[in-house]
Amino acid sequence: MRRVDTPGTGGYFPRPQTARLKANDEGIAMDSYLTPYLPILVLLLLAGVMCVAITFFATVLGPRRITNIKEAAFECGSPTTGDPHARHSVKFFLVALLFIVFDVESVFIYPWGALLRDLNGDGLGWFAYFEMMSFMATLAIGLVYVWRKGALEWT
Amino acid sequence: MTFNANDLLGVLPAIILSIGALLLLMSEVFLSTTRAAAQAPASPGERVAQTATAPEISSTQPDRRYQAWLAAGVAALGLWAALSQLGDPAISLFNGAAMSDGFGRVVAATVCGALLISCFVAFGYLEWLRATRGEFYALTLFSAAGMCLLAQATDLIVIFVSLEVMSLALYALCAYLRRGKRPAEAAFKYFILGSFASAIFLYGAALGFGATGSTRLADIAAGVRLAATGGGPGGSAGLLFASVALLTAGFAFKVAAVPFHMWVPDVYDGAPAPVTGFMAAGVKAAAFAVLVRILVSGFGDPSSSIGPHGWQQIIVWLAALTMFFGNLLAVPQRSVKRMLAYSSIAHAGYLLVAVAAMGNAPSRPDATQGLLFYLASYGATVIGAFGVVALIERKFALAGTGDDLSSWAGLSERHPALAAAMSLFMLSLAGVPPTAGFMAKLTVFRSAIEAGLAPLAIFGVLTSVAGLYYYLRVVVYVYMVPEGRADSVPGGRVLSASIALASCALIVLWMGIMPGSFSAMIQSASGSFGR
Amino acid sequence: MEAVLFYIFAIGVVVAGAQVVLRRNPIYGAVSLVACFFFLAGIYVLLSAHLIAILQVMVYAGAVMVLFVFVIMLLNLKEEELGEMHVTTMKGIGLAAVLVLVGFIAWKALTPVQFARDMAVNEQIHGFGGVKAVGNVLYRSSVLPFEVTSLLLLVAVVSAVVIAKGKI
Repeated sequence: MRRVDTPGTGGYFPRPQTARLKANDEGIAMDSYLTPYLPILVLLLLAGVMCVAITFFATVLGPRRITNIKEAAFECGSPTTGDPHARHSVKFFLVALLFIVFDVESVFIYPWGALLRDLNGDGLGWFAYFEMMSFMATLAIGLVYVWRKGALEWT
Repeated sequence: MTFNANDLLGVLPAIILSIGALLLLMSEVFLSTTRAAAQAPASPGERVAQTATAPEISSTQPDRRYQAWLAAGVAALGLWAALSQLGDPAISLFNGAAMSDGFGRVVAATVCGALLISCFVAFGYLEWLRATRGEFYALTLFSAAGMCLLAQATDLIVIFVSLEVMSLALYALCAYLRRGKRPAEAAFKYFILGSFASAIFLYGAALGFGATGSTRLADIAAGVRLAATGGGPGGSAGLLFASVALLTAGFAFKVAAVPFHMWVPDVYDGAPAPVTGFMAAGVKAAAFAVLVRILVSGFGDPSSSIGPHGWQQIIVWLAALTMFFGNLLAVPQRSVKRMLAYSSIAHAGYLLVAVAAMGNAPSRPDATQGLLFYLASYGATVIGAFGVVALIERKFALAGTGDDLSSWAGLSERHPALAAAMSLFMLSLAGVPPTAGFMAKLTVFRSAIEAGLAPLAIFGVLTSVAGLYYYLRVVVYVYMVPEGRADSVPGGRVLSASIALASCALIVLWMGIMPGSFSAMIQSASGSFGR
Repeated sequence: MEAVLFYIFAIGVVVAGAQVVLRRNPIYGAVSLVACFFFLAGIYVLLSAHLIAILQVMVYAGAVMVLFVFVIMLLNLKEEELGEMHVTTMKGIGLAAVLVLVGFIAWKALTPVQFARDMAVNEQIHGFGGVKAVGNVLYRSSVLPFEVTSLLLLVAVVSAVVIAKGKI
C-alpha cells in the first residue's frame, strides 16, 4: 500500500479492501509477521524458566548453614575499604554522551547502506551519496572538534 | 522525490549560518590552541576575583577577536540572503517539508538581524570576561539556523528537529559563563522545562499524525477539512482537537505565555545579558512563526470546529492571562533583568493577540503584518535594552550576580548617551509614541478589532497602560534619582556595544516614525496565509 | 494471540513506567526503565515496526541507559540524601490532570481502533517497518529533517563539551 505523499490530498492511508480484512479476521495470516520472533520468545521463556528453576531448586535442595563469616561483605578476600558511595568523575559522562551521539549516527547510516543499491537503481545514487556524505561530514567536524579540544583525553 | 537547487536556495539563510558555525568551530580548535601555555589554570575562587577586578585583555592571551567579526559577517550574509529573496514568489521546498514564503523570509531576516546586533553586544562583554570562544558564536549561529528553519518549516518533524537545534544551543549558551550558581540554575531549569515542552509538542504531533497519517501541515489541513465534514477515520476530530491543544501548549512554553512562564525570570536573569537579548528576540520570533504556521496552515480551516473557532478561544485566553500576569508580576521587580523577563512575558501576550486575530480569515493579512512588525520592533528594542544591561553589568562588574535598580541611579550624569538609549528602549517597550513599540501595538490591536476581538484589544491597551509604571520607573531612576554609584570599572572598550545600541535605537525610531517604509518591506509576507 | 501479547506488553509498560517514577532508589528506577523499554519494543513489534523495535533495544535500552546509569553513579546519592516521599496537593492536582487528559484522549481515540488495525495489517504485507521501508521514507522524502538531525547531533556534542570541558 503506497502512502499518498503529495501535500493537499489528505495524506491518508487508502482504506483497505474488505475482502482482505475478512481473511485476516480468522487470525491465520495475521500472526505471520510475528513468526520470525518465535525464537526470541522461546529464548525469553527458556531464560525465565531457567532462572526460576535454579532459584527454586537451590532453595529447596541446597543445605543452609548461615554463619557470621558467610554473611560478611566479601571483597577479594581483604577487608572492605573506602566508601561504596564514592562519586564518579564527570569525565565518564562526557565519554558516554559522545558515544551515544556517534551511536545514533551509525543508526542513521545503517538503513542507508541497505538501501543504496535500490536508490541507485532509481537514479538517485549520487543524490543519496551526497546526502549521506554531508550528514557524515557535519558529524566528522564534530569529531575533529572534540578531538582537538581534548575531550577524548583522559587526564 | 523531486530535489533541485531551489530547495537549497530556499533555506539559504539557515545553510549560511550553519556553515559559518562550522567554520567557527574549526577556527576555534585549529587557530587558537596556544592558550593553555599562556595562562595558568585559575581556580574558581581566583576567577571570581579576576571578575571583580575586570581584567583588561592581557598580551599573553591569544587573539580571538576575529571570531566575533566572522560571526557578524555570517549573520550579515544570512540577513542579505533572507532580504534578497523577499519579493520572490512563495515556493514549497523539499517535497512540502518546508516553505520559502514572505512570512518565513521576514522572520529569518529578523532572526539574522537580531544575531548581527547580538554579536556586537557580545563582543565587548566576552572580551571583558576573557570568555571569547569560538563555541559561543558557533552555538549562537547554530541556534539562529534552527530559528530560520523553524520559521520556514511546514512539517512537524522538521519543526521538532529545528526546535531542538535552537533549544539545545540556547541551553548551553545559558550555562556558558559558569560563574556562580545562577547560570547553572538558569540552564538547568531551561533544559528540564524545555525538554518537557518538547515532549508535549511531540505528543501533540503524534496525535495529529495518528488522525491524518501525515506530518505535513498541508496534509493535516486536509485532514482537518475532512474531519469537519464527518469524513476521515472515526474519532479523528477529537484527536485533532487534542493535537492542536498540545501543540499550542508546547509552543506557549517557548514563547513564555502564562501559565507556561515559570522559567522565564530565572533563565533571563541567569543567562549572560547578550544571550538573553538574543534569546528574547530570536526565540520569540521563531516560536511565534511556527505557532502561526501550525495553527493557520495546519488547523486554519474556517469551516471546522477544530479549526480557528476551537483554537482561537485557547489563544484568546492565553493572551489575556499572559498580558495580565506578565504586567502584574513585573511591577514589584527590583532587578532590571528580571523586570525585562516579566516584560517579555507581557509582550508574548500582545503577540498572542495578533495570533488570535489570525483565527478569522478576513483579518489574516493585517494580523500577519502586525505580528511581523511587532516581532521585529520587539527584537530591536529588547536586544538594545539587554545591551544596555550588559554595559551596566560591565561597569559595575555584576556578571553572574544580578543587578538592582540602584545601579541605574544617576546614569544620565555619567553616561548621557546610554541613559538616553535606555529611556528610548523603555518607552518603546511601554508603547509610547513615537517609538516602534507604539506602532507595533497599534497595528496588532487594530487587527484584533478588525477580527472582532475588541474586548481583548481593550484589555490589551489597559494592561499596557499599567505597564507604563515599571518601564518609567527605570527612566525615573536613570534621570531623577541623583546619587549614583561611581562605576567600579571605568573605561573599557565600548565601541562595538555602542554601534549595536545606536543601530537598535535607530531601528526603534525608524520603525516608530516611518512605519510605512518598514510595512512596505514586509508587504510580501502579509499574503502568506491567504485570505 | 496478538491481543494477548499486546495486553502483556501494555501492562508491562505501564507498570514499569510507574515504577520508574515511584521508586526512591534511582538504580531501581533505571532498571525499571530498561524493562519499560523492552516492553515498548514488544509493542513496536506488534505494530510491525521491526527496525524501530530493534533500535529501541539497541539505542535506548543499551546506550541511553548507560548514560542514565552514569548520571546516577555521578551523583551517587545516599539513602538519606534521597529524601522522603511527600504527598502534596499539587501532586494530587497533577495526577488528576494527567488522568483526565489521558482519559479524554483514550476516549476520543478508542473509536478509530478499527482503522488503526486495518492499517497495520495492510502495511505489513509490503515489508512495512523493515530496514528498507524506513530507509525509503528517511532518505527519499525526509531529506531536510535528516540533514538537520546531523546539525542537532553536532550541537549536542558541542554543548556537552562546552558545559563539561570548556575552561572559561
